[in-house]
Amino acid sequence: MVTCEQLTLKVERDLGLDPRKLSAHLVSVGECSDRSAFKALFDHFAPRLKSFYIRSGSSEPFAEELVQETFMSIWRKAGLYDPAKAAASTWIFTIARNLRIDRLRKEGRFVQKEEFFFEQAMVEEGDQEAYVDQGVIGEAVEVALTQLPSNQAEVIKLSFYEHATHAEIASRLQLPLGTVKSRLRLAFGRLRTLLADLEQ
Amino acid sequence: MINHHPSDETILSYAAGAMSAASRLFVSSHLSVCESCRERVRTAEVVGGVLLNDIECTPVSADAFDQLMARIDSNAVETSAVNGVGTSSSKVASADMVGLPEPLQLLLDGGFDELKWKTVAPGVKQYPLPVDVLPGEKVRLLKLSPGFVTPEHSHHGHEMTMVLKGSFSDETGRYKAGDVQEMDGSVHHQPIADTEEDCICLVVTDAPLQFKGVINKLLQPFIGF
Repeated sequence: MVTCEQLTLKVERDLGLDPRKLSAHLVSVGECSDRSAFKALFDHFAPRLKSFYIRSGSSEPFAEELVQETFMSIWRKAGLYDPAKAAASTWIFTIARNLRIDRLRKEGRFVQKEEFFFEQAMVEEGDQEAYVDQGVIGEAVEVALTQLPSNQAEVIKLSFYEHATHAEIASRLQLPLGTVKSRLRLAFGRLRTLLADLEQ
Repeated sequence: MINHHPSDETILSYAAGAMSAASRLFVSSHLSVCESCRERVRTAEVVGGVLLNDIECTPVSADAFDQLMARIDSNAVETSAVNGVGTSSSKVASADMVGLPEPLQLLLDGGFDELKWKTVAPGVKQYPLPVDVLPGEKVRLLKLSPGFVTPEHSHHGHEMTMVLKGSFSDETGRYKAGDVQEMDGSVHHQPIADTEEDCICLVVTDAPLQFKGVINKLLQPFIGF
């Protein structure tokens, strides 16, 4: 059992961007309300989250406010974080995505408190065998993304950065809807094959 | 046993948060009964995490972290595992809502028998769901009477159907509770409720269906599919 003191020491030594260190920071926030770990996460993710919200159509001041709200959520929910199931960046992405849906609601919502479902999905105990190191998975996906044909990477980025629907991507890129879908399908298929190889 | 699942591109866009509320309701409803698709979503979310890491940096204001900690301290925001979760599900599910996907339970005032179904054609009833929709989009429950054959039709846009109760069959296979069918413009199909009970489906369409044949075309405005 790692004590909070040991975790804090570890955090002070490792202020780099290694995904495993980011995950350790997040665990430390959850277990010990560790402020220096929280600051390290903030320094790394706040400028990225600000870009994420600006790309989602938010003004700069509002993006700044959403970054604050994201980190209040991270502080509140860090105890739920399980490093065996998700890298810190993946977990924080889901919080930011849900907050964006909730606060920059161009798509509308389906129940009053839609975040409820996402929170449940995050709390839920998956019965999948998550023995593959999440840092390894993240690195593999990162490499795979750089190796995607540029037209597939483009539709992936439009989906995740600008939350463009299939129809919106088709209209922006002047492509048939079927082409957009098949590019997304090919890209996801390639990532899944790669992850399946890792799990063997 | 669920045999038909949402497509990869639908799972990916769900994970990206890049779909309409109606489509999100649809996918959430399937996820609530399908562990293997929840796992697919988790895989797609890894892509989101990697892209968040790779995005350019926009500096935040110099005192942003101090402001944040001041807000956290003044709100006494707790690092609690259960904070805020589980409070919205105050509705008590009626007997025939048991087994219904939870996102739908929260939207419906009662079980299927208590809903105000509207007849749209012989053998077909519909119940529009109270969800914000995009222009041209529809989200509703459809109830097909046993043995009823829907007029053969194709789709201009995209249609997603999930069986909630009963089953239907068409040229592409048999669909039972939890199964999902996604249809695009190219496909003509003619679904039929294939057991002795009503087949109730959750259906999201993003453009009006096109019926084949003159009579069906005349019927279209009346049916309003």
